[in-house]
Amino acid sequence: MDHYTVFLEDSIMQKDTLVTAGSKMLENFVSPFDATVVKRLSESQFSLAGRVIMDEFGIPSLIFEGNEPLGAVKAVADGTASHALCNDLFGKYRKQATENGCCYIHPTYGTVSRFGLIPLASSMDQIGVVCKNLHDGFALLSQIAGKDPRDGAMFPEESYNYAPTSKNIRIGIPKFVNIETIENFAKNFQTIDIELAHFEAYKQVMYILSCAEISNNISRYDGVKFGHRATSFRGLDDLYIKTRSEGFGADVKLTAIMGTMMLSQKQYAPYYEKAMKIRRLIKESLKFDTYDIIAMPCKISDDPYENLALYALPTLAGLPAVSFAHKGCGIQLIANTKCESALLSAWEVCMA
Amino acid sequence: MKYETVIGLEVHVEMATKTKLFCACSAQFGAAANENVCPACAGMPGMPAVTNKKAVEFAIAAALVTNSNITPTMSFDKKNYFYPDLPTGYQITQLFAPICRDGWVEIETAEGAKKITLKQIHIEEDAGKLVHDNRIGASLVDFNRASVPLVEIVSNPDFRTAEEVVAYLEELRLLLSFAGISDCKMQEGSMRCDVNISVRKIGDTKLGVRTEIKNMNSLKAISAAIAYESQRHMDALETGEETLVQETRRWDDAVGETLSMREKEAAADYRYFPNPEIMPVEIDADWIEVVRQGLPEPAQDKFVRLTQELGLSEYDSSIITGSKNLSDIFDGALKHFGRPKEVANWIIVELLSIAKGDNKGEGDIEIDCEKLAKVMQLVDDKIINRAMGKKLLGLVWKEGIDPAKYVEENQLGMVSDTSLIDSTIQTVLAEQTKSVNEYKDGNKKAINFLVGQVMKKLAGKGDPNMVNGLLVKYLEDM
Repeated sequence: MDHYTVFLEDSIMQKDTLVTAGSKMLENFVSPFDATVVKRLSESQFSLAGRVIMDEFGIPSLIFEGNEPLGAVKAVADGTASHALCNDLFGKYRKQATENGCCYIHPTYGTVSRFGLIPLASSMDQIGVVCKNLHDGFALLSQIAGKDPRDGAMFPEESYNYAPTSKNIRIGIPKFVNIETIENFAKNFQTIDIELAHFEAYKQVMYILSCAEISNNISRYDGVKFGHRATSFRGLDDLYIKTRSEGFGADVKLTAIMGTMMLSQKQYAPYYEKAMKIRRLIKESLKFDTYDIIAMPCKISDDPYENLALYALPTLAGLPAVSFAHKGCGIQLIANTKCESALLSAWEVCMA
Repeated sequence: MKYETVIGLEVHVEMATKTKLFCACSAQFGAAANENVCPACAGMPGMPAVTNKKAVEFAIAAALVTNSNITPTMSFDKKNYFYPDLPTGYQITQLFAPICRDGWVEIETAEGAKKITLKQIHIEEDAGKLVHDNRIGASLVDFNRASVPLVEIVSNPDFRTAEEVVAYLEELRLLLSFAGISDCKMQEGSMRCDVNISVRKIGDTKLGVRTEIKNMNSLKAISAAIAYESQRHMDALETGEETLVQETRRWDDAVGETLSMREKEAAADYRYFPNPEIMPVEIDADWIEVVRQGLPEPAQDKFVRLTQELGLSEYDSSIITGSKNLSDIFDGALKHFGRPKEVANWIIVELLSIAKGDNKGEGDIEIDCEKLAKVMQLVDDKIINRAMGKKLLGLVWKEGIDPAKYVEENQLGMVSDTSLIDSTIQTVLAEQTKSVNEYKDGNKKAINFLVGQVMKKLAGKGDPNMVNGLLVKYLEDM
């Protein structure tokens, strides 16, 4: 592609531009500043071409997934854009990218600045890239990744080199994976069977922690300072209740209610704290000394909540991941922290 | 007495950082409403919190001056509640790993010395301020104070009297202000206090029902509130007419009563959880040492230095070192006028009385130390008399005049022409025969009136000693 055109998910701040995160709550919100990724792109060969709609605040329905691809995927799939930037917490972009001839890169948590990204769950938020191929994707990523003093949770590296590594790549395939589903992919590599500790709890942990953090991050939308405000109300509580009832859609409300419950005094220990412990165990149980990459399919069910188990690992452990279609099958590859290069190498091997 | 009062304090102190806790906005007091506000402290999304290192260092200093154990890895948490003065809907504070624990502060009361032990100190951000506007019948929010860094100093329930509480707050003010952590001005809200109070029978080990009086900002009100509240508890225990409940109360200074704020209590589940956007902060021995080395001279050390090295009286030293601000003024003036006793005397006698006339306490005095020193120099050089010096100091205070220039421009220098003084005295003696006669009849005090009259005719520019001497001489000769 001669010219790169990048679209932004509507959760990324662009100065003097309407930024709504797909919510009525921010229907009139004009950003007073640029996100760091926007600033960095404007200083590169990539040009910002437009903004795309999204699920409200990036929260998909976990009950029913529609057929229509998300704006970011659609724009890249139909060639309107070469790339799109978005925050894929729940894996919907990863899955849809592979179903629409695109790739998705979820970079290592803390390598791309979240300054100017409307927060969803701060311990998981990570701007990622929808692209046509991983070469293009990493070319863009190398422009936006690197330390930003305005994001306090980042690695110290100023920039990253995503050149592919040449060594033989060992692929770990989790026991739950039906090997036939990724057989064509796997035969290109030396593979080992691996056990992912607490895999059965992945989706619960993901759900509990994301709801908790989201309920906290969206409490700023109260009708007092900016965004939607109910037109008539009596007293403060009524302002809050009406504004939030009108401004939030059903999935956001459900998330807020669940998260509020999980952080409440009574439920903190059995839900939030327990989920945090399992999250730590999940991270600690990974053995990237015996394999370089974990491979799994991008879909195991028609139930979006079941599929959440597949996307949880990069999000919960902050690991880099790529997803792409290989001979009709959606593949997700996950590597160790800051080992994006191994992902690129594996993709090159199987695409060769 | 059958009962004893048990009190614990939570003291909030605004730290004197230039900028806010998590953004680069100015943290200074007194700006126009919403002048010091950016997207971050207005609660807009997409602004990750980045910790102000200086605030952490001030908090380390607070830990050091209160003999506390510093947490090697401290972290921040989020406390959730909805209120319009809280822009994000959560306050960033420390619950699980506060900056330090288990400190102590020694206080001195009529009963003697006592150690007050501290549970912990934690760092947190302040909230904004609600202002009710009667013209439009609405509440407005000022976010200038939102995210200004605070330390909250939580004591154990070690206090038994209001006197101990006041002594502790004064000691904290000295410790923190001399360490440069805060100006600790209660009336401006940079030091505020929540009082937890309960009453039990003497000898009981179990604490009684506790009530909390929130947001106290004057020592007088704190004493009054403690007296009122402990009496209310005792009456309830004694008569059984009122059932005490654990609750938050508010002090109404005008009425002199505490009032229940029960309606706010109902929904108080703050849903604390670790703040995921701020990395835990490691505080190693080296960093602590750097902060320790940088600590300014504490009040106690300064008191010793003033009495032993500079020869000030204990009384003068205790006043100078009883306020960080006075102490700074003393140091500043001493740099330009190197006689400590006189500097102390001018500050305590003249400057404090001028300030008092303007209803300003020790902490609120703002004066150009160089000009203060210049006034002392002019008097010392006998260019002006002391009364004129005091007048000049008043003008420095009010209008910021340049003393030397002002004296020159207005020809306020003392009259050195002895013939003019002589003739003025003669005129006064001729006019004031009544006082002259009183003096001659043995009322020596009558001379003061005559000195005053001569000084008046000399427009205050006479040398009072010289005038007095000459008058005595003439009167005795008459």
